[in-house]
Amino acid sequence: MVKVAIYPPNSLILADLIERKGHTPLALQKQIRQKIKDPEIDSPPMNITEEDPINGLKYAAIEVPSGVRGRMSIIGPLIDAAEAAIIVDGAPFGFGCVGCARTNELSIFCLRKKDIPVLEVVYPDDEDGTRLMVNQIMDFLDSLPGGGGDLEGDSDVLGEPIANKGGK
Amino acid sequence: MPANLCITPDLGKEDMDPEVSTRMIILSSKANVSESEVVNFLHMLNLPITIKWTCYGAMISGKDEYVREAIRELRKLDPYGIFTKERGFAPGDPRRCRGHRYGPREGFHQMEKEFKILDYVGEALKNPREVEIEKKEPVSVDYFKEILEEEENKKEDDK
Amino acid sequence: MVQIALVSCGTEYSGIQKEIEKAALKFGAEIILPEIDLDYINEAYEKFGFSAQSSSLKLMIARAMSIVEGKCKPDAVFIATCFRCAEGALVRNEVRRFIQNNTRIPVVTYSFTERTKADELFIRMEALATTVTRRSILAREKQEGLTLGLDSGSTTTKAVLMENNKVIGTGWTSTKDIIASAQTAAAEAFEGTGYKWDDVEGIGTTGYGRFTMGQEFGAELIQEELSVNAKGAVYLADCQKGEATVLDIGGMDNKVITVNNGIPDNFTMGGICAGASGRFLDMTSRRLDVDITELGPLAVQGDWRKAMLNSYCIVFGIQDLVTTLAAGGSKADVAAAACHSVSEQVYEQQLQEIDIREPLIQVGGTSLISGLVEAVSETLGGIEVIVPEYSQHIGAVGAALLVSGMGNRH
Repeated sequence: MVKVAIYPPNSLILADLIERKGHTPLALQKQIRQKIKDPEIDSPPMNITEEDPINGLKYAAIEVPSGVRGRMSIIGPLIDAAEAAIIVDGAPFGFGCVGCARTNELSIFCLRKKDIPVLEVVYPDDEDGTRLMVNQIMDFLDSLPGGGGDLEGDSDVLGEPIANKGGK
Repeated sequence: MPANLCITPDLGKEDMDPEVSTRMIILSSKANVSESEVVNFLHMLNLPITIKWTCYGAMISGKDEYVREAIRELRKLDPYGIFTKERGFAPGDPRRCRGHRYGPREGFHQMEKEFKILDYVGEALKNPREVEIEKKEPVSVDYFKEILEEEENKKEDDK
Repeated sequence: MVQIALVSCGTEYSGIQKEIEKAALKFGAEIILPEIDLDYINEAYEKFGFSAQSSSLKLMIARAMSIVEGKCKPDAVFIATCFRCAEGALVRNEVRRFIQNNTRIPVVTYSFTERTKADELFIRMEALATTVTRRSILAREKQEGLTLGLDSGSTTTKAVLMENNKVIGTGWTSTKDIIASAQTAAAEAFEGTGYKWDDVEGIGTTGYGRFTMGQEFGAELIQEELSVNAKGAVYLADCQKGEATVLDIGGMDNKVITVNNGIPDNFTMGGICAGASGRFLDMTSRRLDVDITELGPLAVQGDWRKAMLNSYCIVFGIQDLVTTLAAGGSKADVAAAACHSVSEQVYEQQLQEIDIREPLIQVGGTSLISGLVEAVSETLGGIEVIVPEYSQHIGAVGAALLVSGMGNRH
């Protein structure tokens, strides 16, 4: 079982596939939940206070815009906790946390320079592309400790073993 | 309608509990189950969770262990048509509810886009097969020149 | 309630959303977000034609488009992006121009940091709310009747008496007690005109002491200096249509206001460095033993390159100028170097934060120092700088102009 960072950090498909293989996706939503459930909501709606962009200094210098540092204070801890990472190139990005290209560039760079297994795939626009992406991700997840061939683990999550790759 | 965007929410006990998590359940368009079947199934599980029917599937909220159990059971219903991810805000949180805060939700459009390939993802999981995609290289300068000259000649001929 | 549409790439990620809303609510306005769907975002983004990498900037463009296309009908627009973000600044300015060119909705722009507090936003929101609720006043292009404008600043108090679109009297005194200073300045303005307080049809007040003066004199118009100075400047410089920038290098703080059709849409204010203020020139003229009024013409004759000036600082910079004089340097070169230094420092500290639009209208007491005006133009690459008549009384002129038509004392 490995904690896998994903980029985009709020991707439905990536989080879903990682869970299917019994690993833990490091999703943005958990970070946000922690923030917004703070009993002292000083700065609605996200409860990002003046302190957060300052905490973001751990990842980017003071000359970097406050919005980048504020976002990094949420995304950064996910990168710190990552034991593996999947980065999707050309993925659709939502707005908000992942709406700033500079933050995304910095986050992806931080994941790449970390000494962990990293898979980079291309976001598909057709069926074959999707197959390629799914195959690459599944193979990568199998190769991680606690993943791969652990059909029992898979069955626990999925309900039935992930279809055999015999059909390749 | 209150238009104060950064409304300070009056959260209930459960909403403030860090052990309470929220999950979005999204059905691919080729899913073998409907939104109502999903919601009924979740109710039949008789777990202490809040279940909400939504346009994309459902949203459940409750103690993390029960939410996980519900997801585990639910996936069995249609392993290749049901997808799920966490959500930061609780269902109906005024800070993210369209009713209170105009404009699109931050992550909604990304989900809308990812939804478009969910069928393919389900199919790829169900019947995996190797694929190869040829990566196109940019044309060489020589080839570009060749085409350019060809087009020029064509124009000359037309005259 | 005045509805202000927020067009931004994400103010909440700098933790300042609450501050923005607090500032809006104080002036009876509420912040709204234009409602749009994904297809529209893509369509609007394509139509606009700016290829932004950040998806939130696409959203920002689409929100602007929905305002221009009338899908969302706010009373005003607040455009904000992070300070120091190049992509954000480019989109912010283009979106601002787009809304101004295609609608009559007032716009204010701002580049924020995590330190942005509601106080800083108050004057912008007040200006925005004013523009909406007092559109008819701001539309005034001509002064009518007999009106008095009072501008109580942090260092000086100015009074201007206007009659039928002409300035007929001016007064100027240093600010001590707000009311007493205003009375002194007003008495000076009345002098020789044959008019008294009772003859005036309307009184307008502005500046830091506007509320105190307004209450005491029963003013018909009490208005923040942003709208008043902008209006006064474009009126005096005859630039009421189109774009302009108003620069006021004050004795203690500096203001830069950008204006579109007479209505302010952004401004910066700073007052942390004496080297970027009129105070530096005041010190220089004392060291040169010339009156401040002679410093300008003297500087115009000099060449700043010939005077050694290694520091902008009011302490070390002045020291350098003294050294130059001791080494036999000319007074003219030293005066030119001082003007050049102030202008460069204003540029470094403030002008870079704002999109400067031609013409630049220089106002305030320092606009009378010709050497400084020349230096500002040079620093900005030879931009056209206009110094209108009565430029030192800008706030009072603006107040007298805007209050005309409001007074019914007779």
